[in-house]
Parts: sequence; structure tokens; C-alpha cells
Amino acid sequence: MAKKYTMIINLAKCIGCQACTVACKFENNVPEGQYRTKTPATELKGTYPNVSLFFIKEACQMCQKAPCVSVCPTKASYYNEDGVVLVDVDKCVGCMYCMAACPYNARFLNKETGVVDKCTFCYESKVSKGEKPACVSTCVGSALMFGDLNDPLSEASQFLTKHKGEVRKPELGTSPRVYYIYEGVVR
Amino acid sequence: MKRRNFLKGILYGTGATAALVGGFGTFSKHSPLKAGATRAEGEEATVFSACEMCRNQCPIAVKVKDGKVCKIEGHPDDTAFGGVICARGNAGPSLLYDPQRIKKPMIRTGERGEGKFKEVSWDEAYTYITDKLYNVKDQFGGEAIALASRKGPHDWFFRSIGRALGSPNVFSHEATCPMTRSVALDTTFGTEGIQADYANTKYLISIGRNWFEGIHVAQTRAVSKALSKGAKLVVLDPRFSITAAKGEWLPIKGTTDLAFVMAMANIMIEENLYDQDFITHYSEGFEKWAEEVKDKTPEWAEKETGISKDTIIRITREFAAAKPNAILDFGWRTAYTPNDYQLRRAILIVNMMIGNLEVPGGYYKTKPANFLKNFPDLAGNAEGLGGVAQPGFPTPIKGRIDGTGVKGTPGQIIPAYDGAVGKIIESILTEEPYPIRAWLVHRFNPYISLTDSPRVLEAFKKLDLLVTCDVYMTDTAYFSDVILPECTYLERYEPIFDMSGLTPKYVIRQPAVPLVYPDTKPYWQIYKELGERMGLGDYFGFEDMADFINQQLAPTRLTFEKMKEIGVWTPSGMKGFYIRENDSKASLDNVLSTPSKKIEIFSEHVEEATKQGVPNYFSHPQPEEGTFRFVQGKVAVHTNAGTANVPILNELMPTNTLWMNPVSCRKLDLKDGDDIVISAGNYEQKGKLKMTEGIRPDSVFCYHGFGRISPELKRAFGKGINGNNLISNEIGIVGNAVTSTTFVRVRKA
Repeated sequence: MAKKYTMIINLAKCIGCQACTVACKFENNVPEGQYRTKTPATELKGTYPNVSLFFIKEACQMCQKAPCVSVCPTKASYYNEDGVVLVDVDKCVGCMYCMAACPYNARFLNKETGVVDKCTFCYESKVSKGEKPACVSTCVGSALMFGDLNDPLSEASQFLTKHKGEVRKPELGTSPRVYYIYEGVVR
Repeated sequence: MKRRNFLKGILYGTGATAALVGGFGTFSKHSPLKAGATRAEGEEATVFSACEMCRNQCPIAVKVKDGKVCKIEGHPDDTAFGGVICARGNAGPSLLYDPQRIKKPMIRTGERGEGKFKEVSWDEAYTYITDKLYNVKDQFGGEAIALASRKGPHDWFFRSIGRALGSPNVFSHEATCPMTRSVALDTTFGTEGIQADYANTKYLISIGRNWFEGIHVAQTRAVSKALSKGAKLVVLDPRFSITAAKGEWLPIKGTTDLAFVMAMANIMIEENLYDQDFITHYSEGFEKWAEEVKDKTPEWAEKETGISKDTIIRITREFAAAKPNAILDFGWRTAYTPNDYQLRRAILIVNMMIGNLEVPGGYYKTKPANFLKNFPDLAGNAEGLGGVAQPGFPTPIKGRIDGTGVKGTPGQIIPAYDGAVGKIIESILTEEPYPIRAWLVHRFNPYISLTDSPRVLEAFKKLDLLVTCDVYMTDTAYFSDVILPECTYLERYEPIFDMSGLTPKYVIRQPAVPLVYPDTKPYWQIYKELGERMGLGDYFGFEDMADFINQQLAPTRLTFEKMKEIGVWTPSGMKGFYIRENDSKASLDNVLSTPSKKIEIFSEHVEEATKQGVPNYFSHPQPEEGTFRFVQGKVAVHTNAGTANVPILNELMPTNTLWMNPVSCRKLDLKDGDDIVISAGNYEQKGKLKMTEGIRPDSVFCYHGFGRISPELKRAFGKGINGNNLISNEIGIVGNAVTSTTFVRVRKA
């Protein structure tokens, strides 16, 4: 049965330590100065001494109505059988239409390969072998969760029954598969 | 057309990347394996070892593909780590393959600090060091030779050189970091081997401790776990750290922490919130402490700390209500003020007032094999490590330069293993109590790690010999006479480390790959070969590291082969235990090693050494209008003086800024991003301003480890503020480098 892979990002638990950022670079051979994921801090809110801050992991949102897929002239960007948005590097011609179309600024032109690159949920190297994406397995704050929403017993499914998962820019109707949990943070 | 130009810009704009291949804007097809495809399909292996991107030695799983380290993960079988490793640990391969590492031994040819060196053979380097050290020893005595290293497994080898030459002056870096805590533990419990059980705590108060930026993976995970289970976190810190962002932030006035802690004791006594049974049963001297805190009321503490009395009372009540599963944290980098050790003692005493020793969610004694011997039903779980025998070292003719060990002085309670490392600078420059003439430095960078950097440079210039062993041309190396290139932790064996916590634990460090730069060496080989050259070979009674490890493991059921295979060992099936978990009156005789066998709230030793048998309060000056308290801290992507030049970590954070509250910025007509000059006395540092609501208006802050002056650290050179350039070399009562009593002025550059 096909999977419905999701990543859940529990913002209250993220400490912005960038372990995910660095793990991703080595797992996926991402060139110097480029990133498939990064976890910047939000702007500090409030006035001294009543202030707050949180971090928000950025990467491909694995949209199920992905503008990058529909805009791709060579069909290099596609959904695989488990709903993961991937780039077929053999088909990509580096036209960068997808980069312009992506509302999450999640894609870049890999300066070593010359083709478009982005988060793959570590599908080939990890997830297809039953492991978790590199960022999830190295998360120091245990803020990241990965699982199959088609399996009602998965940790991810169970978690989302109890917590409100929100997607970024829902107004665009892109149907992301990356959920953010805002409980416990000041937005 | 526009896009094509943009594309060209990206690709040609990155000349620094040697691996730039393929693509270049043509519409050609590309290999799906990307950079990995340049290697032949081949073997993949996992090597279990221990990290050294900081000094915590976290167990790791190193992934090797086609003979290269491609990735590092946390050791999957160590439950405290759960396969997790921090950003720095993940960045290990970036250090390993960095072309900016030092690759050959070097001897200085130009003026000191001019940066002129010649590459030499190891033989020449050893001969040079040997001649110089014996010259110093012959002229000034062995005591004129100082050794300083970041504390670690290299000490056994490194220190043997100095001790064999008759020098008493061997130092760790601890005086710049947790030494006041060590002194407090030693004098209160008779042992430094006490840890906090964060994972099970229900209430956690930090006094500047910053688990989410000063990351110790197991402890950071444990704090996260406690918070997930609903624990409350309170953070006292003049600046809004990431840890503060996860709890209740109390922006305390700098250097007044002891007032807060004493007020907690006052309230707990006043409101009868403390565990009288525990205090009576296990401690002595409580009445003297009660007397000392009698007038330390919440009203008084409010004036001192700037935290309202209602808040202090509320926090204290909440803390006491969670007893005994609550922790008032004893800190990590603990050298805020001259009498910081008394803050640490007071913290420990307040913890004991809720009886949180040897219970879940409190403090516990580490439980290595030799501790289990005291418990017949547990003793069979583990055997202690053996060691390599050494002949006796000559007794030094003179005492240490820092007075360590001298009865009736603070030296009486300074741990001799650590010493007051800042005294080396004073001894070189003032020649009091006698001059240090030669200094061997191992994986330590006094220029960045000690306070008063300009004075450190002055001291370097006066030495007859300065030797640095490191992986980079650090700032200190740049001023050295001889530089010894160590290989990285991913290329060497090391002695088995005892990392016992609630259960015994042994960890091995082993090479994942052969030497990347063939003329670098592991430290144990460097010091063994140097020792042999100096005629001190008897102190290095092992063939190689395999032999050393075999001697260590001889009394245990473990073998070298087994340790290589598993990486980390704990007794299978043994659960961690707390002596008082089920019996609140259980004997703590095996935990306490004080002269009285009690928890010494009043300590005769401390009284003798410092005339403060219980902690006394000293009020430190506060900044006047126009000046700011200068505070520093850690960041998650760097390790102190260690990683500023590591490629990926430098990419993530190449520099630091000075944080200032907007109210203060407005008064000085400064804006976010302004170029500024920070001054303290005659010292100045340039930097950039960060305007933020996350700091007290009377304080400024920067992250530690920047402002590097070695041009050979090509990425880090000249970037950012070196805070220690502004702080004078004030040495605290127990030898600690005082970090937080400096006031600075700030102006537009």
C-alpha cells in the first residue's frame, strides 16, 4: 500500500541548534553555501523583558498540489508513489521555473550538478530503507517526527489526532505534507 | 536570457569550491548520484567511536564510504543519545578534510607573531623541543615549565612530559570554565562525581546555564524530555538565551545570583518549606547557614537582583513544592565573579534543603565500576579499568605558581589537577612567585580562552619556548616556536574513557579512516616519541595504543576487539539506580567523602582556606550610566575557542555581534547593524551592533570564540569580537578566571 509520508515539526521543542541543517548537508552532499533545509529563528517578539522567540524549520513542504510539479516543462518534478515530491535529475534541464513557482523558496540550483535540488525526505537513502530522514534522526530537541499518515497507528497519525497540525500558506491551496505544531509558542 | 545569466552567476561565483563539476548551465543530462558518483561504487562501513568537536566525547557512529567519512550520527545503542548528535558533531567530516588543517611540524623562523615558520621533520621538532626544555630546566628548574591543555584523555600522555621534568605546573582549562563548581562539589560532598538527573526533574532553575546553546547532547535531550513531561523551567540570565526562550526568563542583574539563592534559603526556612529530616540526617552546619541567610530576605534580594520579591517567593515555593524532584542547577561555565565558588556552594546547599540527593529528578553520584563494589548485588555488573604503570615522578622542588595545595590559603581547596591556569600569564610577566619560561599547550588556545588577550600575547612574547599541539594554526600556535600537527579524532585510537553516569559506561575512540594528512600524528604517539627523545621513555610503558587499551581492559571482561565492535559498553540489563529512591533514610556513606562523611554545609576546609565556612554574600559593583556589564555565552554551532574555522560551522556562523537593548541604543544614538567600538580601560574591540529586546538595558552580550588573529585560520581571521580582549585577568578566590565583572563603553566606529 502506498504511504502518505509526513513530517511534523513541533516548534515548541525546536531549539534551533542546526543539527538538522548540518546532517542534511552530509546525507545529501549539498554544496558549500547551499541548503536543503535550514532552521532560522523568527524575529524576537515583545518588549523587554516580556519577549519570545522560536525557530521554524524550512524545507520543501511536499505539497500534494505542488506548483513546482505543474510548472515543470520536462516533468522532472514529480510525485512518487508515496506522495513525496522529487526531482528526476535525468529530466531536469535547470530552467528554474520550479524555483520561481515554489511559494516556500525551498528549491535551489545545485552548483555542483547544475540541476534543481531540494529536500527529498531522504527518500532514496533513508526512508525507502525504513529509516527516518537524516534531520529527524539527529534532532537534538526531539522536535521532528516522521511517519505514514496512511497507517492510523503510526506515531505521526496518533500525534496529529491530539495536536493541531498547520500547514504554511494554506491560502495557496498547495496541500503541504509538512505540518507545524504551534502549541506552546507565541506567534 | 536573464535566467541564464543568473545561473552563470551562481556557478562561477563560487571559485572556492574545488568540487565544482558538471552543469555549467548547459542543458546536458546529469548523473543521478551527484557528487557521490565521482567515487567508485564500493564498501560502506560504520565505525563506532567518540566525537571531539567539543570535549564531551559523545558516542558516535561514523559512516565510511569508499574510504572516506561521509557522515556522522549519534551512536544508536546509547539510549542517552538515541542516535542523535549536535550540529558540531555532524560537522566532523568538514574538519577532517579541511585543507586548512596543519599538516607538518613547524618551527618559527621569524619574529614571534610574524607568522614565519619552516616545515620540519618530527625528528627536528622533537630535538628542538628537547634542547630548549632541558635548557630551561637546567637554568631555571623544572618548575619553570608550564603545561596547559583542555582537560581530556590526552592528559595522561601530555602531562607525563612535564611531571617527568619535575614541574608542578600542569594545568587544565577548567579554571576558565566549571572549576568553581568542582570546588563546591569537592568541599560539600567530598567528590566532584555528582550529576543532575534532568530527565526526571519536575522543576528546573538555571542560573545562566544554557542547555540549548551550550549543548551536551545527553543533557540537552534530558532537559527537553523533562519539559515534554511538563517540568517547569526558570532561567536567570541577563540576556535572553534560547534556554530562556523555553522557560520563564528572569533577567537578573549580573553578579547578583547569590542573592537570589540566599533569598530562596531564607524563604524556605521562614516558611518551613525545607526537608528538615534530610538536613538533620545527612548534613552538618545547617544552623550556621540559617544564621547567614537570616537577613537575606526577598525584599533585600529584590534590591540586589532586580527580580521582584513576589517572583522570588513564588519561584521558591514552586521549587520547594516539587521537592525532591527539583533541580537548582549548579552550572557549567561557572566563573562569573571572584567568589563564584560560594555561589556554587550555596546552590548545592539549597538543593540539599529539598533533599534531592540520590533521588530521581535530583542529583546523583556517578556510578562507575569501583562504586558498585560497595553494593554486593550490583558489584558483578562491571569491573574497573586497569592502567599502564608509570615509575614515580620526581617530587617538584618548588610549589605551584598558583599556590594550589597550600594549607590555610585558598590554594587548599583548588583542585591540583586543574589549577588556576590564568596564573601562567601572571607568572611569565611578573615573575612571581617565580618565572615560567617554557609553556607547552595542547588543544587549548589561551589567546581566546583566557581573559585579557593582549596580556596573553605579551606573555607569549616573553617565553623562551612556546609549543602548541593542535589540528589548526590557532592564534596561540601562530605565536609559538614549535607547532605539532595532531591528527583529528576521526583518525586515531585513544584510551578507553570511563563515562559512567547512573550505570558504568565505557567508550572507545578509534580511527574511522587512515590519516588524511600523513605527517600528522595522534597525541599519544607525539608525547611518547617526545618523551623517548628526552630520555623519559620509562614513563610511556606501552608499545602502541592497542597495547595501552589491552592493559586498560585486562581487569575487565571486555576486549579491545569487542570495544571496537560495539563502541560503547554498559552492563547489559543493568538499570540506573538512585540510592534513596525507595528509602529516604538510606545510607549515603558511599556517596559522601567529606572528612565528616556528611554533606558539609559548613566546611572546616573552606573556613580554613577562605574564612567562609558557609557562603557569605559580597555585593559586586553595578554598571554606571553609560557603561554596560559585559557578558558572554555559547552558541549551538560552535565550541568555544575550537570551531570558528571549521568550514561548515563557519559557514553557519562566521562572526558574532554585540547585543544591546534598544533603550540603550537610543541613548547612544546607535542603530542595529552599526559598526561600533567597544572599550574597557585601554582595550578596544571593533564589532557590529545587534539591537535586541532580549537583554537587560545595563548589559551587553556577545558569543564567545570570535575575533581570531591567526591569519592561517583563513575563514575566521579578523571576524567578530573577541570578548576576552576586553576582560582583565582577574583571578577569583579559587583560581577561576573571572568572566562577568567587566564594564564596557560602546561608541559608533
